[in-house]
Amino acid sequence: MNVSAPHPEVGRELVGEPYALNEAEAHAYAAAIERPAERHPRPSIHNDPQAARKAGFRAPIAAGEQSYALVANFLVDRFGVCFLHGGKLEAIFLKPVFYGQRLTVHARVLARGRSATELEVWVENEDCDRVLTGKASVPAAEHESELA
Amino acid sequence: MARAMNEDERLLMCPENLREGMKLGPIFYVVMPEQVEAFARATANANPLYTSPSERIAPPTMRLQDYGLLIAAHFRGGSGGIHARHRSEFYEPMRVGQTVRTDGRITRTWRKRGKFYFELEYESRDAETEELLVRHAMTAVLLREGAMQ
Repeated sequence: MNVSAPHPEVGRELVGEPYALNEAEAHAYAAAIERPAERHPRPSIHNDPQAARKAGFRAPIAAGEQSYALVANFLVDRFGVCFLHGGKLEAIFLKPVFYGQRLTVHARVLARGRSATELEVWVENEDCDRVLTGKASVPAAEHESELA
Repeated sequence: MARAMNEDERLLMCPENLREGMKLGPIFYVVMPEQVEAFARATANANPLYTSPSERIAPPTMRLQDYGLLIAAHFRGGSGGIHARHRSEFYEPMRVGQTVRTDGRITRTWRKRGKFYFELEYESRDAETEELLVRHAMTAVLLREGAMQ
């Protein structure tokens, strides 16, 4: 969605499309975040079973920021480019995401003000466990603030 | 005197070397269309904002990993950091072809239940106009000496 969409009413829950976070997606994400690659990849909790176990995980885990990216993308998709002109997002990474899990972004409208809409946001895995939780603020589109 | 190629003067990534107020960066880069496309693909996002020739903006968190570059430019080490919290404020989208400057600062360090935490704030600006594009703050826990992962 390129234009700013009307903001939904308070209490409304929005749900994104499920995203399967497999190793292939994780590798694609890792390859995409640095262009050109500026650091040498090294064993980490994201790609090395031993490093993951040392850190207390049963297997390598996905980067939390990949889940965070899903939320940010969802907010742009749902509310338009206005999110990139004054939007805010804050989140805590609650649980590790293991490769093969299916993630879904959720958002619930907490308040609609003249200048912004406030949302609770979270990401669930296929067991409906929250792996990320936080809040977001989306600036009101110009036509909305004029009408408010 | 010329330095040996393999000389590494970066600090070891450990609690003793992470101090509040420490400045990291700057780093510079150009927003590349290949990265925009790769990031959109990796996150299964087909929004035309990232692909349309008339738009060509970067997905909001495409350069979130700049914190890793800021850290790697100042610190060396093995493994052992976990991202615990993240905060972002978006002011203007990054655009393809734009030259960006990112600066960071360690804003807070603390210990809790035997673990060492730090907060790194970093912001990206248009390198030419200095227009603020995005500001991030990431909180990480350093499990043992080593760089963020």
